[in-house]
Amino acid sequence: MARMRFLCDVERCIDCGGCVVACKEGNHVPVGINRRTVVTLDEGKPGEKAISVACMHCSDAPCIAVCPVDALYQRDDGIVLVSKKTCIGCGYCFMACPFGAPQFPKGTFFGARGAMDKCTMCAGGPEETFSAEEHKLYGQNRIAEGKVPLCAGMCATKALLAGDADVVADVYRKRVFQRGSGVNAWGWNRAYTKK
Amino acid sequence: MTNSLNDIRHAKSMIFIGSNPPEAHPIAMQHILHAKEKNNAPIVVVDPRFTKLAAKGTDYVRVRPGTDAAYMMGLVNAVITNGWEDKDFLSKRVAGFEEMKEVAAHYTPEVVEDITGVPAADVTRVAKLLAMNRPTSLTWCMGGTQHHIGSSIVRAFCILQLVLGNMGKTGGGTNIFRGHDNVQGATDMCILSHSLPAYYGLSDGAWQHWCRVWDVDYDYIKSRFKEKEWMNKKGFTLSRWYEGVIQEDKIHQYTPLKAVFQWGCGPNSNSQYHKVKKAYDMLDLIVVVDPFPTMTAVLGEKDNIYLLPSSSQYETSGSVTSTSRQIQWRHKVVDPVHDSRTDYDIMADLVKRLGFADEFYKNIKQVPEDITRELGRGSLTIGYNGQSPERIKKHMENWHMFDIDDLQAKGGPCDGEYYGMPWPCWSEDHPGTPILYDISKPVMEGGLPFRNRFGSVATYVMSGREEVQLAAKGVCNPGSEEPGGYEEFKDVVPGTNWKTDLSQKTIKEALSKGMAPFGNARARCVVWTFPDQIPIHREPLHSPRPDLIEKYPTYPDKENHYRVDTRYESEQDPELVKEFPYVITTGRMVEHMGAGAETRSNKYLAELQPDMYAEIHPRTANNIGVRNGEMVWIESPEGGKIKVMAKVTERVDDKTIFLPFHYGGMFMGESLSDKYPEGTEPYVVGEPGNIITNYGYDIITQIQTTKDGLCKISRA
Repeated sequence: MARMRFLCDVERCIDCGGCVVACKEGNHVPVGINRRTVVTLDEGKPGEKAISVACMHCSDAPCIAVCPVDALYQRDDGIVLVSKKTCIGCGYCFMACPFGAPQFPKGTFFGARGAMDKCTMCAGGPEETFSAEEHKLYGQNRIAEGKVPLCAGMCATKALLAGDADVVADVYRKRVFQRGSGVNAWGWNRAYTKK
Repeated sequence: MTNSLNDIRHAKSMIFIGSNPPEAHPIAMQHILHAKEKNNAPIVVVDPRFTKLAAKGTDYVRVRPGTDAAYMMGLVNAVITNGWEDKDFLSKRVAGFEEMKEVAAHYTPEVVEDITGVPAADVTRVAKLLAMNRPTSLTWCMGGTQHHIGSSIVRAFCILQLVLGNMGKTGGGTNIFRGHDNVQGATDMCILSHSLPAYYGLSDGAWQHWCRVWDVDYDYIKSRFKEKEWMNKKGFTLSRWYEGVIQEDKIHQYTPLKAVFQWGCGPNSNSQYHKVKKAYDMLDLIVVVDPFPTMTAVLGEKDNIYLLPSSSQYETSGSVTSTSRQIQWRHKVVDPVHDSRTDYDIMADLVKRLGFADEFYKNIKQVPEDITRELGRGSLTIGYNGQSPERIKKHMENWHMFDIDDLQAKGGPCDGEYYGMPWPCWSEDHPGTPILYDISKPVMEGGLPFRNRFGSVATYVMSGREEVQLAAKGVCNPGSEEPGGYEEFKDVVPGTNWKTDLSQKTIKEALSKGMAPFGNARARCVVWTFPDQIPIHREPLHSPRPDLIEKYPTYPDKENHYRVDTRYESEQDPELVKEFPYVITTGRMVEHMGAGAETRSNKYLAELQPDMYAEIHPRTANNIGVRNGEMVWIESPEGGKIKVMAKVTERVDDKTIFLPFHYGGMFMGESLSDKYPEGTEPYVVGEPGNIITNYGYDIITQIQTTKDGLCKISRA
């Protein structure tokens, strides 16, 4: 069984936010809920980097481990999903998540958060595949249609890769090899630049 | 673009000046980063801001706004003094090099450092970097053009590419990125006041040509004008049309403007926008055709405006021309929604009521295919005649057969053709021209020499030297009957030339001889019709360097420049910087588009960029006592002022303030939200940055100087 993964290539991410907008438009995510976000580091300074982040669909996902009502579960292909009908909005998953992925629709002070929402890797939810209920609660199920998630499909520079981990790794390995080969080899620029 | 977005994949180095593709042209970045990764190509970014492109670049050069020409001529000089110029290319395909070299010699690295602020050693280093990594792809955008010497600046860019021998080569070229999928098409159709479509100009011959294309009597067209002389005069430009109403500068027309029709126009992209408001309040009639109410819709205070809701590009179809000169077909996705109507539909109704539908639609029975056919038949200057709607649609249907690296179809129904048949596409069997001025390929396979546009011999005033303008012996496309330079084709059909012979026999004659219809000449470094025949630096009209104004003064004032007197010398006040100490420059953000009426009406884009802001260096912020996120007033010498949020960042230096220009719906501190028709208020409103952009217009094109100017800033 293939394992699904995301990979954001920071050398390629240009901080355009196309992934964020594609996700929201395609899944009708409310304003204020960010299944995906682009984080910019050292903005405006040499070394500035941007990285697109969403739920990483971790192996041994900490959100699943801490959920008190077993609303979170992992599919055989590694995609981590939440049952919004089971979720009690306690927010434990948010505390456990190393990527800040879980989102809550209500932001009041005393815990009335509503059911958690997060990136589904465009794989819908526990309801019947392609049902109106699934679409309403979780958005599109592109994985079932054999398509990559909206964010990766939109990415202008192919910085954001998604899909079968072996294929994603192959694409990335080829890129890194290309960057690191020949005159691109690490240190050559400094060591051997013609004066 | 002389080359294409895809062709940048072959660049061995890239230089971007006044261009920020991660925000303005994100799709182009895949090819730029490909060249960086695959070819180890350095990316040199020349900009007053450390942009998102600079973050992806290898070499960042911070220049003072408005000094691009000095920097470029500095690179040209450094290339020549170090012997890195392409001597073979210059001797065979370039004219006026000796004269240009004399002028460039002034721009030593030290002089360039004084003018631009770029360290002298960096000038030579970058020149070497480009010289050692050829071909270089050079890109500029509005950061290069929107200055009072914009026309000189862009010529300096071209000269650098000639000196390095990078023209007509894969991976090289001057690659000016256009704003969206049809800006090149709009330019080609000359939606401008100085020319008929396809750059024919406004001469009698041009009018007669198009009257033949339209199959409309020339005398009828003439009768539509008040007097014949107005047919041949350039009109007002987009950047100064409002002077035709408010007349702060003297106008040269028998009447002030009484009505304005804005069709798909983001009005707050006009500099000195607070003056445009005065015009709104004086006009008899304003019509806005747009999917969303623009700022025009809410700014005026007089009851003189009509809003015609038009549909979006997804609700209609037709041909469009991309930045790579490729013609594509836009297919309709859905029928127009709400009460909107397509542009074609609105145009048809308008033309009918104005009473010239018969003449207008003489050749147009099937919309939009016949429009593409008609404009193609007339636009011979740029070879729009080979791209029939049928061919364009065939390319769209066979996308996957075109090679990503060279854009050529390998096999299949479009075998050998280049995607979108980049113009010029000289005939129905021509594959299109993927790279302009490329003499390595036969003309019938997409090759071309430089065009013979400016006569065969020229004598330069600065040197008295006479030079042949045609290409040298032996320089021609493979298979050319003439083994060297030649003039343009004419009199194949008596009384016509390749541009005006609608039978296209002239073009076919040239092609059958393996030659270019427009001749084979040299690219020129001297433009004898311009005030600066060779590009030089002139200080911005509103300069922060009074000492340099004396050394590099602007032009004398220009009378009747596109019907309005335009100030240069009398506007350049060395004292101005005392009251207005900061340089203002504007630009784009990736989330919003143009004047923002559309994108600020999209809730997700509005969420990502909800606030108008000014980028301010931490030192400036501390000096004026403002923290990140607090409000500031910014004021222009022309009396414009805006209240915006301070974004404290090192993207700009401590002498410069940057404004994005996409915001609207606020005016000098007041919100206009309640003035939008019910339900059409954008999610986000903000002050237009262009209220602060200064007076100043290019000496040739009259483009506004939104990229340099002065302002003052204070805590709000």
